[in-house]
Amino acid sequence: MFKDLDPILHSQLRLAVMSLLISVKEAEFTFIKEKTNATAGNLSVQVQKLKEAGYIEVAKQFRDNYPLTICKITKAGIKAFEEYVTNLQSYLGKG
Amino acid sequence: MELQDKPLTEKESLDLITQMINKAKDACHDTGIAAIMWGAVIAVCALVKLSEIHFNYRLPFNIYWLTFAAVIPQIYFSIRAKRERKVKAYGDEFMDYLWVGFGICIFLMIYVTGSMYNEWKPVADEYYKLAGHSSSFKFYEFNSSLFLLLYGLPTFVTGVSMKFKPMFWGGLLCWVCCITALYTPVKIDLILLALSSIFAWLIPGIIMEKDYRKAKKELAQANV
Repeated sequence: MFKDLDPILHSQLRLAVMSLLISVKEAEFTFIKEKTNATAGNLSVQVQKLKEAGYIEVAKQFRDNYPLTICKITKAGIKAFEEYVTNLQSYLGKG
Repeated sequence: MELQDKPLTEKESLDLITQMINKAKDACHDTGIAAIMWGAVIAVCALVKLSEIHFNYRLPFNIYWLTFAAVIPQIYFSIRAKRERKVKAYGDEFMDYLWVGFGICIFLMIYVTGSMYNEWKPVADEYYKLAGHSSSFKFYEFNSSLFLLLYGLPTFVTGVSMKFKPMFWGGLLCWVCCITALYTPVKIDLILLALSSIFAWLIPGIIMEKDYRKAKKELAQANV
């Protein structure tokens, strides 16, 4: 019996953000933007959705008077990501 | 290619995850500048000391003061690297504290060996007066081994945890030289010290710096 894939994660940009954040302790918004080649506006919307789902934490700081946004995956985010990958593997293995 | 808010097939999802994890891994490159600097500084200090002994001259200052002077650029490099770091890897903090701890140990070792020498010197002088010749025990013969012992630890741990073979082998070389230096005269000890710093830090630092430049270039090309 296949489990439904998490709709929050089953989207190209949000999955890319989560895959980046699972590999590191924390990352600046500009780093994620650089790696995903997404526009700032689109990325902001997707980051907000992940934050609302409780999958990531977003901290706003200042560096040299410039705003700095730092994103970090949460425990719930790690769990959801792991489940998502397990479900994906079962789809690909049995599909 | 710009990533969108669109659903994916299962295969595309797995490919994307792999691609992003690799991208994140590539971003965690050390510049290698600190390793290059310390490798060069220690090698220069050891070789200058060797030339002082071999050619029988003395500089007006102790060449090892250069290591204290190198702390200033090290602080600058650390601050700059921290500011430029857009991403923090899980091992970053561990590595930072490992090397800070190593630096503290080195300065404590200098203090401890200096104190030991001050305690030993009157005894050695007394021995000379009584026996008419110097003791066969030369305190400074053991200095290089003690420092090589310390050099090996953070180098080896960094090599293992970063899966960076040049540092892994460099750390092991420090420990081999540590044992060897026990049985060799001071001149050879200094050569071993210079060799260890070159193979443990200078060469790995150059490799790291090359990798860092390569990753930066690839990123710049990808963003065009």
